[in-house]
Amino acid sequence: MTNLEKYNKAFMEALGITEDKLAGLEYNTIPEWDSVGHMQLIAAIEDAFDIMIDTDDIIDLSSYEKGKELIAKYEVEL
Amino acid sequence: MSRILEGKNAVITGARQGIGRAIAEAYAENGCGLWVCSRTDDEAFRKDMKELSEKYGVDIRTIFFDMMKEDEIKSAAKEILGSKIPVDILVNNAGATCRSLFQMTSMKTLRDVFEVDFFGPYLFTQLLLRAMMKCSSASIINIVSTAGLDANAGRSAYGSAKAALACFTRVLSAELGTKNIRVNAIAPGVTQTSLLTYDEEQLAEIVADSAQGVIGQPEDIAGSALFLASDSSSFVTGQIIRVDGFVL
Repeated sequence: MTNLEKYNKAFMEALGITEDKLAGLEYNTIPEWDSVGHMQLIAAIEDAFDIMIDTDDIIDLSSYEKGKELIAKYEVEL
Repeated sequence: MSRILEGKNAVITGARQGIGRAIAEAYAENGCGLWVCSRTDDEAFRKDMKELSEKYGVDIRTIFFDMMKEDEIKSAAKEILGSKIPVDILVNNAGATCRSLFQMTSMKTLRDVFEVDFFGPYLFTQLLLRAMMKCSSASIINIVSTAGLDANAGRSAYGSAKAALACFTRVLSAELGTKNIRVNAIAPGVTQTSLLTYDEEQLAEIVADSAQGVIGQPEDIAGSALFLASDSSSFVTGQIIRVDGFVL
């Protein structure tokens, strides 16, 4: 599985959504991505790449695309 | 008698002495693995926890950080999360007390009290929550104070910080209820610990006003913390439980 596939899988499993919903997805624009869903998403991404995301980055992870930029900081290439 | 926390793991801050130490023993006695947190590292604490571990046959890990230092809180959380040991229970017990009249309370004192009693536990909870969300059920227990519920002179800093933690407890319980994470607080009354700041005369007055006629012991608080950590309280969340012998 590629890193992008892992990243997508984390979103789909944590938020319970399908792949076609990922592009352009932003925090709080669907019921599943509320504050609790956000923590589940963080946990899923951390598990997928064995990283620990800083608090400031957790707050900044406001969209599917933004998340890609942020996890690059943790030496994860998508 | 069955050990009601068998197979669970807890993180307890301020575990060196007093209420935190009593909670650590109550949990260990009931089969719970522990991360015990203290501000400063010393051999006496490590030895005490090692003895507790051997006595009850549970894993106990010590970890040291200062609740006033964000970088230390983050490092501690990283160590805990990095261990991959589930965190079923979090007890935010570490606290700083303060008794001074409003006009005698500097902003530095106020900020320091809030750092330890509110901002530190807030951040620590935020960091550990990701591990707790992976558990089938989890319990967060904040140790607040009756000083945060009652309006006692001299408690503007401490009472306000504990009131903030009590409010945080209820808000978090609302946010996490559907995820089977319960969040409750215990509000101890006057309890025999090293943080006790009353003189003998004041203590006598408090005892006289108490329905039970005694001041609390750390073990009295630990009993409630054990209940809130266990499945016996599975339908209890968002509660601030006074454990004060009923001060009249």
